[in-house]
Amino acid sequence: MKGIKTVFLFLLCALMLVPTLVLAQGAVEETGESYMRLAWWGNPTRDERTIKVVNMYMEQHPNVKIETETTGWAGYWDKMNTQAAAGSLPDLMQHDYAYMLQWVGRNQLLDLTGYVDSGVIKLDKVAESALAGGRVNGKLYGINLGSNAVCLVYDPAVLATCGIAEPDSTTWTWADFERIATEVYQKTGVQTIPFFTTDPKVGFDNMVRQTGASTYAKTGKGLGFTDPTVLKEFFAIQLRLLKSGVLINPEIAFVTVTPEEGELAKGRTWVEFIWSNQLASTQSAAKRPLKMALLPKIANAKQPGTFLKPSMFFSIPATAENPKEAARFLNFFLNDIAANDILLGDRGVPVPSDVRAHMTEGASDINKTIFNFISLAANNSSAIDPPDPTNSGEFLKMFRDATQEILLGKISLDDGAVKVMAKGNEILKK
Amino acid sequence: MNTSHRKAQLMNDLSGYAFISPWLIGFLAFSIIPILFSLYYSFCDYDILAKPIFNGLVNFKAMFSDDLFWKSLQVTFYYAFVSVPARLLFAFAVAMLFNRGARIIRLYQMVYYLPSIVGGSIAIAVMWRRLFMSDGAVNAVLGALGIHTTISWIGKPETAIWTLIILAVWQFGSSMLIFLAGLKQIPQTYYEAADIDGAGSFMKFTKITVPQLTPVIFFNLVMQLISGFTVFTQAFVVSGGMGDPLNSTLVYALYLYQRAFKYFDMGYSSAMAWVLVLIIGLFTAVIFKSSSSWVYYESKEGK
Repeated sequence: MKGIKTVFLFLLCALMLVPTLVLAQGAVEETGESYMRLAWWGNPTRDERTIKVVNMYMEQHPNVKIETETTGWAGYWDKMNTQAAAGSLPDLMQHDYAYMLQWVGRNQLLDLTGYVDSGVIKLDKVAESALAGGRVNGKLYGINLGSNAVCLVYDPAVLATCGIAEPDSTTWTWADFERIATEVYQKTGVQTIPFFTTDPKVGFDNMVRQTGASTYAKTGKGLGFTDPTVLKEFFAIQLRLLKSGVLINPEIAFVTVTPEEGELAKGRTWVEFIWSNQLASTQSAAKRPLKMALLPKIANAKQPGTFLKPSMFFSIPATAENPKEAARFLNFFLNDIAANDILLGDRGVPVPSDVRAHMTEGASDINKTIFNFISLAANNSSAIDPPDPTNSGEFLKMFRDATQEILLGKISLDDGAVKVMAKGNEILKK
Repeated sequence: MNTSHRKAQLMNDLSGYAFISPWLIGFLAFSIIPILFSLYYSFCDYDILAKPIFNGLVNFKAMFSDDLFWKSLQVTFYYAFVSVPARLLFAFAVAMLFNRGARIIRLYQMVYYLPSIVGGSIAIAVMWRRLFMSDGAVNAVLGALGIHTTISWIGKPETAIWTLIILAVWQFGSSMLIFLAGLKQIPQTYYEAADIDGAGSFMKFTKITVPQLTPVIFFNLVMQLISGFTVFTQAFVVSGGMGDPLNSTLVYALYLYQRAFKYFDMGYSSAMAWVLVLIIGLFTAVIFKSSSSWVYYESKEGK
């Protein structure tokens, strides 16, 4: 009898502790404190700056407590998707153009129009074109945190050594690119890296957009192009460069590496293909000044292939516990000059015009380069395509595998192009 | 007498359950229930952002026509059936070498065991990737030996899987220690008797050592095979999460992960997980069944 009593007492104590611990995790307390969670993906530089801004906000609003969660890009969506399934998403989260449509379709995000109309989020200095990316069916689901554009960076010192004039990025063609790459290789032995090894579709997309088509159909249920000419040219340029020894061996180039381990940092390529807001990390890994250029034109280009991409958004999940505070913080993050002085455009060129003007004045060299490039891109771009369809993950993998197969010579160029189009349609129609 | 005996028995059982209740609750909550959910999801279409929609055997049927599914099975089988025997042979051979008892051997044992403790970690896998890059340490060492090559071992579809196999074999230490323990348990009397009968070392090895070690071999074989089939971390890091190059390192667990988190197809991944359970179960059952014919248990002497 004594034994059984002790056992049950023990169990009872254990059970009592559980709810206490759960409640201690914290929720909105009745003491007038406002609590919210903020999540973003980033890198050490971005994390450091963002946390400084969060602390600044908490100093200005002593009753607010913000808990931050951050990961790298690689694990971010795994985490967010899991939290979405559990209904435990944060109050404010960073979002991406590629996934916005899907999340809106699943009613996971809050329409921010209410906050904009009531003045909690001030968008009077933001051009509508910058907001377009965050709109679905006219409603606003994400605020653009910065503009981004695809580009290539090159080492001007190498070109200077070869006596090659730097290209005019608004007029140069892929033929010019091939000529320069070949000359650089012949004179210095420095090679050229394959185009966008992590995601070759980005390079192809830029080229096919110049014909007025796009990779994905507007509805997302198939390819957005029927003529394989540009697709073949995308591979053909690289194959030609590979044949003459200019292109870095794909077996080396396609290995996933950090910027410090990459071919540009090792001085083995004169060019690298990136998104504009990666300039800071790319240049610091390369340890030498780089210049930015728009991607070259194809023959008979009808329009520019570049587009201004919202680099990332801040969105408020539909299940957020404290959306009001999230909206207030969002407004601060977007519009506050002092906050942006800390962030230094790390997420892309700021969208409110007054912030952008202020940033350009006092910008570091790297940021000046990026800001100027974005202005250049803005004048040489065409409208952004709709967000990637749901099956784009599978499509991107297929495209990347096909690129490697073609470059490694496992499949002929023509067969490869046929395969990409056939499989692409098959995947997207699912 | 009966009731008080039953009461005592009940108290005994209950107190037992009470003591393991923390583990039991954890096991139920974090293992059993998710496993049951996974079984349910395998019959659903579930993209993690919406509610799962029951769709019967669609996921399982889709597997048969999925090239990457078969590729991942092929890669995993190749990896398991090459790395496991290689690892066990290595472990066995080194354990034999260590079965001398000299004091300095202890240091070597520790050194050889270290890789298997740290081996499963991300840090080692990252370092391993660097070693086998075209300008990594492996090519540097080969160059010092006079073989000048710039082959990118992890970038070449033919060789990438071997970097993973070598990584697995490098971690033979844990198996080696178990073999060593088994070796030390073999009664010396058998060897003495064999010496008296004039047996050479080869005879002693094949007729005494190996049969005596069969329980250990059996244990190691089952454990290593299971871990070989479920390999993930090393493949994920070395291949950059994509099964590079050209899916030559796309092990089953990696493809399962991709389907779940890159293709947003949780139902399919759950179905894949259960198929893997069946495959591993099948192989383990085969090994267990055959064990009665080749595993020798001292305690079953005279059966």
